[in-house]
Amino acid sequence: MIEIKNLSAEIDGNEILKGLSLSIGDGEVHAIMGPNGAGKSTLSYVLSGRDGYEVTGGTAELDGENILEMEPDERAAAGVFLAFQYPVEIPGVQMTTFLKTAINSVRKARGEAELDALGFLKLMKKTCKELGISEDMMKRAVNVGFSGGEKKRNEVLQMAMLEPKFAVLDETDSGLDIDALKIVADGVNALRAKNRSFLVITHYQRLLDYIKPDYVHVLAGGKIVKSGGPELALELEEKGYAEFSKNEAA
Amino acid sequence: MSAVIKLSNRYRPETSALALAGWEAFIADTTAPSWVQALRKRSGEKVRMMGLPTPKLERFKYTNIPAYLKMNSLAFSRVDMTIGGHKDYASDLLMSFDQDFVQEMLEVAPAGEGKYGDLMLWDFANSLIANGVVIDVPQNTMMDMPINIGYEGEGGHAYAPRQIIRVGNKAQVTIIEHHTGGGAYWHNGVTQIHIAKGAKVIHYRLQESSHESLHTQNTHVEIEQGGTYETFTLTLGAKTSRNQIHVDLLGSNAEVFVNGINLLKNKQLGDATITVEHKAPHCVSKQNYRNVVAGQAVGVFQGKVHVHQIAQKTDGYQFAKSLLLSPLATMNTKPELEIYADDVKCSHGTTSGQMDADALFYMRARGISQSDSERLLIEAFIAEVIEEISNDDMKERVALCVNDWLSKQVVA
Repeated sequence: MIEIKNLSAEIDGNEILKGLSLSIGDGEVHAIMGPNGAGKSTLSYVLSGRDGYEVTGGTAELDGENILEMEPDERAAAGVFLAFQYPVEIPGVQMTTFLKTAINSVRKARGEAELDALGFLKLMKKTCKELGISEDMMKRAVNVGFSGGEKKRNEVLQMAMLEPKFAVLDETDSGLDIDALKIVADGVNALRAKNRSFLVITHYQRLLDYIKPDYVHVLAGGKIVKSGGPELALELEEKGYAEFSKNEAA
Repeated sequence: MSAVIKLSNRYRPETSALALAGWEAFIADTTAPSWVQALRKRSGEKVRMMGLPTPKLERFKYTNIPAYLKMNSLAFSRVDMTIGGHKDYASDLLMSFDQDFVQEMLEVAPAGEGKYGDLMLWDFANSLIANGVVIDVPQNTMMDMPINIGYEGEGGHAYAPRQIIRVGNKAQVTIIEHHTGGGAYWHNGVTQIHIAKGAKVIHYRLQESSHESLHTQNTHVEIEQGGTYETFTLTLGAKTSRNQIHVDLLGSNAEVFVNGINLLKNKQLGDATITVEHKAPHCVSKQNYRNVVAGQAVGVFQGKVHVHQIAQKTDGYQFAKSLLLSPLATMNTKPELEIYADDVKCSHGTTSGQMDADALFYMRARGISQSDSERLLIEAFIAEVIEEISNDDMKERVALCVNDWLSKQVVA
């Protein structure tokens, strides 16, 4: 399980997260919603260890280990996965090379045997098939020339292959039409498991029609200001975030 | 015994001078064939008058050859060479002196802009002429096996090996030159290539000279109608290196491809200076370079496409990308297009930058270590140019060299 306590973080001296606390049990799906500028993306980057985000207080423990003290690749090995809002294009690096290096790096760090070329290909083909992803995508450079939908499906594919314990989905719905959204959501749902927790960060309720959360939290002004069940998302969709923005202003 | 070679006052007002031991004695050697003695003498006089190129010359702005020579005392000699592949066609130049074309070609020097600076090293090489290779490929001959020429530099020496490669109509040959060595030495090589109608030369150079050495390579290529010259240079070695390639497109529908990868680290300086002279219509020239500069190294890329008025329908392309791996690394890039014809297609592009931080984070977020991520990005950066190497064996060899360099360079 993941236990975030009193997390504060800043970028260039601006405090964005101001004492955020959140506890996600094994197998649970939590959604974080909030207005623009609430700190949603900052939270995902702080949890995954991006440079430039300085943690000024608090902890984030995955199964009792504080991940905030780890390098980004160590976090991945420990089981943290960030599905990027904007997956990065890497010209010249083939998908297969990228995936094989990632999987074997993680397996090595977890004390598992590395996959040989054949073992990797089998796993890749199997995962592609399960997620309905064309193997042709694997012959291309990482995210280069991928459509918005392909990029997000590629994130799900990587998630499936890296088998994280804790996956953060950062605005996975952005840039997707409804058909692409369904495909991506189906992929995520297929990966739901009792030893895997999800944090779904989104601005709109729409995504949560397809990825049903157990809990919904409202992030505003750098902390969780309200928590509830799935019905909270519907309420937000109706009323908007004005209430919380007002609180912030006051 | 030592000689004093003056640097031209015109470009270097201070009367700085180089003491090069034994140079006078070398060019005065009376045991060489008489025409060799004459050539050494003539060239020696030019060297005395003009000196060696200094950074005061535009073409040598970034690459300081006298500075290296002041730090190292060198004696003149022949270089140890090995020749493999086709013994029938490759022989010691000294054994081929009776061939008329050798003498004829030795006197040919590249024409065009900037030749003054460029010819100083050429003249110096002529004054030191001692050994080399002559390859004369008869017309309509397809040589499947590459010809390998190896040079083993020896510390304390300066030498100027000469390669003369003449390829007859519709003939084809692949040449691989490989430079290695130990200690501080100066390799001032001259390679002259003449490509007749419809002929093709594929030319690879692997420069793994000693990291204490000075490596200056002057390559002059003449291409006649429908001929093709395809070259790739991998620069890994030398303290200071300049790989200068001058191509004259003399007949229509000729094509030239000049590619290279320079991997520089520590305090190395690597200079690629390329000139393509379009002197006939309907010719194609493409340059594609990648520079990876680490440590406090300095990279130089000077590429020039000169389209003469007669060269209508020229297709010229020049591209150089540089990746700086450290805040102290330097890249000097100078692309030049000089066009006098009005119906041509010419483009050029250069970029210099650092590693993409977003791409690095993306990879690390997938569990790939910092050093492996950097390595993958550097490999990706140069992949396109490796892909363009047409000989599969060479492609593999270059990939191995690059891997080796990366495994020593990228340290977590």
